Amino acid sequence: RGPAGRGMAAAAFERRVLRRAAEHHYLRVRLELPDGGARPNAAQFKQLVVTALRELHGEVGAALPVDVLTYEEKTLSAILRVISSGFVKLWSALTLLGFYQNRRCAFRVLQTSPFLLALCGNSRELVLD
Amino acid sequence: QNVLAVCFSVGYSAVALNHVIDFKEKKQEIIKPVSPSELFPSLPIVQGTSKRIKVLTRLTLVVSDPSHCNLLRSTSANIRLYDIIAVFPKTEKLFHIACTTLDVDLVCINVTEKLPFYFRRPPVNMAIDRGVYFELLYTPAIKDSTMRRYTISNAISLMQICKGKVSSQSKNKPLELRGPYDVANLGLLFGLSEGEAKAAVSTNCRAAMLHGETRKSACGVVYTVKKPRKAEEEETAVPACKKAKTQV
Repeated sequence: RGPAGRGMAAAAFERRVLRRAAEHHYLRVRLELPDGGARPNAAQFKQLVVTALRELHGEVGAALPVDVLTYEEKTLSAILRVISSGFVKLWSALTLLGFYQNRRCAFRVLQTSPFLLALCGNSRELVLD
Repeated sequence: QNVLAVCFSVGYSAVALNHVIDFKEKKQEIIKPVSPSELFPSLPIVQGTSKRIKVLTRLTLVVSDPSHCNLLRSTSANIRLYDIIAVFPKTEKLFHIACTTLDVDLVCINVTEKLPFYFRRPPVNMAIDRGVYFELLYTPAIKDSTMRRYTISNAISLMQICKGKVSSQSKNKPLELRGPYDVANLGLLFGLSEGEAKAAVSTNCRAAMLHGETRKSACGVVYTVKKPRKAEEEETAVPACKKAKTQV
């Protein structure tokens, strides 16, 4: 419970402390497709992620609960959410994916975090002068 | 050059340009390495720090015959110009020699085929004691699913024996390159623990680089031992050794 300010109206806020490990992990990824062909839309992107999981980890991997939270077709970047126990599987599947519809492609994982808020700022893109 | 640009953008802080020499063809001479400053007039800065990216040169020798190793022992001037030397043994005897006596920094393991020899613990342990690291390519795993199976099975058997003293390597095309954290994650797949997986990309690679530097610089060491004698005899107490080459 928040403390009452001296002479000010007491603010009511609640503090929650989470001791367990986070339930979901979030990844910001970008798909690189250098040849200027048709870009996948959101459904095809999800299909690609599930295919990658199936190729590396089989049916059990493909059944992993992965959600595409946002997807931008212009930059081919997306934010994925996966359950924490499947995080290593998803990341390794994305790393080892080589082809999309027989076109060479590569997944670049830009940021990962157990908290969605942490994905909004990327310290690697800071320019230090 | 494209590949290097991608390397930099993905977040590596040191890159080694590899030059492969295969001894099956005749008349292979070791040429001088391409100096990195010729390729890049100014190296870009590592993401998130203010240091520039290091570009080193590296030589890989594909040996299938013991006579090829003589080249390493001869003090050919051009070999000394390379920062890192790696050897790729094709037979079990050569693997043993490479781990125990050869003056190299890395031993490459071929992952794309079923290995013609099994790893045995004694030479591997000797290699680790000397500071030689083992190296795996991860690019075949990206291309093809049969390659992927071989890569993973060979990597797992390597990990079981060498307890994780491994560094990793990639190959030619820019799209086949993966970022350092991605590769560390792959280490988890191969059976390393999290700390070992990250070390495989960072600490072990740096140790191999430093091993290469010590190989280039030190020929011998001079040390003075203070013996409990009278003062005039202390000056003659320096043991006769070669002088260390001073690094500019």
